[in-house]
Amino acid sequence: MKVLPPTMRENKRYLAFELIADAQVSRDELIREIFSASGSLLGDLGSSECSIWLFAFDGLKGVVNCEREHVWQTRAALATITNVKGKRVTFHILGVSGTVLGATKKYLEGADVFNPEEQSHINE
Amino acid sequence: MARSNFYDLSVYSEPDGKNTIEEMAALSKHFCYKGIAIINSPNSCSSKISACFDDFEIFSGVELNVDNASKLHGLIGKYRKMYDVIIVHGGSESINRAAVENSNVDVLSNFGSLKDNGFNHVLARSANENDVAISFDLGDIIHYRGGKRVKALSNFRKNLKLVRKYDVPFLLSSNARSCYDLRAPRELIALAGLFGMTREEAICGLSTTPESIISRNRPSANYVFEGVEIVSVHSDIVSLDEGDNA
Repeated sequence: MKVLPPTMRENKRYLAFELIADAQVSRDELIREIFSASGSLLGDLGSSECSIWLFAFDGLKGVVNCEREHVWQTRAALATITNVKGKRVTFHILGVSGTVLGATKKYLEGADVFNPEEQSHINE
Repeated sequence: MARSNFYDLSVYSEPDGKNTIEEMAALSKHFCYKGIAIINSPNSCSSKISACFDDFEIFSGVELNVDNASKLHGLIGKYRKMYDVIIVHGGSESINRAAVENSNVDVLSNFGSLKDNGFNHVLARSANENDVAISFDLGDIIHYRGGKRVKALSNFRKNLKLVRKYDVPFLLSSNARSCYDLRAPRELIALAGLFGMTREEAICGLSTTPESIISRNRPSANYVFEGVEIVSVHSDIVSLDEGDNA
């Protein structure tokens, strides 16, 4: 089969994020919660336009990809996630990039994930 | 997007919320906020909290939650000098009305209910006249699901229309009671976009309006009284006088 011409491909954006959580969250649980949150906030129609997908996740940091024109809706949907299977979580988007490499290099490498229990003082 | 100074003026700490001030401040700083205001109710916080850690400010605030409008004015007079930010927790028509008609109030929050929008053109006009900001509590969009969130979003949309027409100052706030309720400024901007707020308006609600509230209540050293401020150094005045004599 011939490959899809570049102009016909979807234009994606990669959102690098950190997950601030009070317990370990698995990839499958997080995927389920992301879809439930976007289904609830944007509906089936909006979710299909955004095409949100959890690209990578290592327990603390990860990358979500979405459609280029719908980055802000995706951000809003991710912001409404409050808990995953009873564990309290907060999504914090570190940056948006057009390539996976850009997102990981610029925002994830060396990023220090915030832990509310350990970093409960102000670093001066 | 240009770097702005973002503030969240409604954050609760212990005992009203679940986390201590230090925890909330550390996370807000991590989220690139420039400052937060802790707004516990007057009974629960014994002393005035106000602090500044390198580039991050904590403002002292108070949230007044009363059931009687006449009591409100007395309380405002009592707390005005003690706190940087005074927020009135609205609810009934009479309290909302009393809050926007008192120019000592900084912010009116939680004024709507499920049935009633709580805000109308009369309140909008006096909020504009008295420079009382209204707050869009985005915590509702984060925590509710289904019918309640539908109602909250449609109320926000109506309020935004009034805010635009009557040029009312407004704030975006997370109303965080624990550190997992806090959201980064850009996430709040995205949530505000859901009900039609543009990015410029949202940035204004997160930085310009809070800044003006703070600067109004924390006068600088040159402040004399409302509308009068010392802007130049004495030497200029002296040299002017000499010029007149010659």
